[in-house]
Amino acid sequence: MKWIPNFNSSNSLRVIFVIAVFILLFLSSIAYKHNQDLNESSKLAMHTYEINLQLERLMSAIKDAETGQRGYIITRNNRFLSPYLYSRDKVNASFVTLKKLTVDNAVQQKNLENLFKLIIQRFVSFENCLKYSDPKTYDKRKLDNHMFGGRILMENIRFQVDKMNDIERKYLKKRLEIYDQEISLSPVFSISLFLTALVFILLAYRQISRDFQRLKVFNKRLLISSGLMDESEIIGKFSTWQWDLDANKIDYSDNQFRLLGVPPNSFVPVKETFLDFVHSDDKQEVSKSMDAIIEKKNLPFIYYKIVRPNNEIRYFKSTGKLLTDQQGSKILLGINFDITDEHLLNIELQERNKELEKSNKELASFNHVASHDLQEPLRKIQTFISRVSEADKAVMSESGRDYISKIAVSAKRMRVLIDDLLLFSRTNTTKKEFIKSNLNELLQNAESELTEVIHEKKAIINASKLPKLEVIPYQIEQLFINLIGNSLKYNRAGVAPEISIESEKVVSTDYPDLLEQSVKKFYKITFRDNGMGFDPQFKETIFILFQRLHSKTDYPGTGIGLAICKKIVENHKGHILADSTQNVGSTFTVFLPE
Amino acid sequence: MQKNALNILLADDDEDDRLFFKDAFEEIKIQTKVQFVHDGMQLMDHLMDPENKLPDILFLDLNMPKKTGKECLIEIKKTDRLKNIIIAIYSTSSSEEDIEDTFVQGANIYIKKPSDFNTLKKIINEVVTVNWHYHTSGLNRDNFLLRLK
Repeated sequence: MKWIPNFNSSNSLRVIFVIAVFILLFLSSIAYKHNQDLNESSKLAMHTYEINLQLERLMSAIKDAETGQRGYIITRNNRFLSPYLYSRDKVNASFVTLKKLTVDNAVQQKNLENLFKLIIQRFVSFENCLKYSDPKTYDKRKLDNHMFGGRILMENIRFQVDKMNDIERKYLKKRLEIYDQEISLSPVFSISLFLTALVFILLAYRQISRDFQRLKVFNKRLLISSGLMDESEIIGKFSTWQWDLDANKIDYSDNQFRLLGVPPNSFVPVKETFLDFVHSDDKQEVSKSMDAIIEKKNLPFIYYKIVRPNNEIRYFKSTGKLLTDQQGSKILLGINFDITDEHLLNIELQERNKELEKSNKELASFNHVASHDLQEPLRKIQTFISRVSEADKAVMSESGRDYISKIAVSAKRMRVLIDDLLLFSRTNTTKKEFIKSNLNELLQNAESELTEVIHEKKAIINASKLPKLEVIPYQIEQLFINLIGNSLKYNRAGVAPEISIESEKVVSTDYPDLLEQSVKKFYKITFRDNGMGFDPQFKETIFILFQRLHSKTDYPGTGIGLAICKKIVENHKGHILADSTQNVGSTFTVFLPE
Repeated sequence: MQKNALNILLADDDEDDRLFFKDAFEEIKIQTKVQFVHDGMQLMDHLMDPENKLPDILFLDLNMPKKTGKECLIEIKKTDRLKNIIIAIYSTSSSEEDIEDTFVQGANIYIKKPSDFNTLKKIINEVVTVNWHYHTSGLNRDNFLLRLK
């Protein structure tokens, strides 16, 4: 959904953090290993040192034995013999220790065994020296041999000890070198890794602080828009509610409470709460459409009444939609409009409409009266007059005959009046069907309707090509008849009427005061004659019903013809104008929308 | 009663109109037998009575008490025995609505009551002498309303 701001950085942040954590884990494992190695090497050094020590001890014990023995041989004092006797134990103890220390090293074990054999031989040589130095068994040559042999054995022992020490030292050196290599690699590497991790974390920090800023901005905007929303709900008299279908939690906007006639948040809404407010007439309908919304995902507008706690009835219009957000949870969004004012206005309008319909019906019945009931007696008067035969008239007095003919004229005039009035009212009340019509054909029809007068007055009608327009055909025909008829009627004495009809396309913006500006193009049709004309000061009043410029004895007429013309043009959303110069001619201009 | 005299029936509540009608028929000198009824009910009773001979032409006023001309027209056209009677609507009204309605309901011609006795004679002469078979087959909205040349 669009209305949730998208924080893209959260994913990259996660990646940065995971990388940083891995680097740190790696660094700490390296450090642990390093520590481990240090420990090992110090242990190894200790080990070497200990072996060295023990070997030295071994050596010194043998030397002690040698010194003791020598002292004893020279002095024959038993006191000198005790170090010799102890040295044996010391050698053994050192030997056991050494054996333990070199248990994992086969070469050293072997060396140790050789050393041991040499030491045993040395002690055997000691015994022999003691034996041949004893005055009882003194043998100078053998003693010399054994003393010398002891000397050589001693050198061998020293050599062997040195060899063992050497091996240990070499081994230690090699191990230390290996560790040194391992350890010497890590400082640069680990510092760079650490720096990388630091950079990552700093990047993440920057991103977080940026997101935080953006969040703050969005939060502010949200606060503003939710405030505005609240305000607009109050002003617009509508409210919203959300129903989280998964959590089955319903939230009303503050104005929802107000529209229901209670203070905001005065209760916790559940599905049924709303129905409690709905008028009993509409309960079923509303409940049904609430269920339907979940199936259809959309709710067409429903109209119903609610009852406020103070028993006031308000009219509501509601709609809703099922929304699914990014996490896939379904939320039903509903909007309620309080349309009480509109509803009451509507009722008033309906009443007025009814009144209008009534008065329209009255008008129609007036029409009927005019067409039927008024005509009926008139028709009879005329028929009865026509029944007065010439023979009847012959026996009448002259004045009687005169009266009869005056009655006939008046009755005829009344008929014309009634017919014209009917025509005028029908111009407005009959159904208006707009049909695409060729105005040239309508003009021809009008001319043929007027054939007799045209012939009688020897009139000339020149018409340019007229357009095809969406019009009410019979009305336009009537318009043409009336306009041409007018020109024929008011011709100049002794001058044959000449009527020219022209048409051109114009744009409405050229006539801002006259024409409907919502329609762009109009056809301007002019009817120009060479008749007697009229005083231009009457160019507007001549379109008014029953307005006449001439006495009815000179020119019979009802003053309805041009009023009909105006009405017809108005029916077509057009305009009609008249202009004239007396004794030159008149011009009638009709604008009809394209 | 002559064998080929035309049987004419006028349904009109107006006494004067019936008088004009009767006089006009007397003056045109065509062999006809003209009968009158005063309202729609009487018209239907007359037509439904098997004793009465059916008219050749029925002149039917629209604005009549008890049963209007339009109601009678519909009833006649629904009744098999009557539906072939030539029906000439004879009314004061010249409203488009009346003309349209009666045309749709199957009337044969629409006559607007004239305001001159001589015109009435001409109209009656025209209606009585027209070849109805021919006229009916070519009937349309334009020639439904009778106009004298």
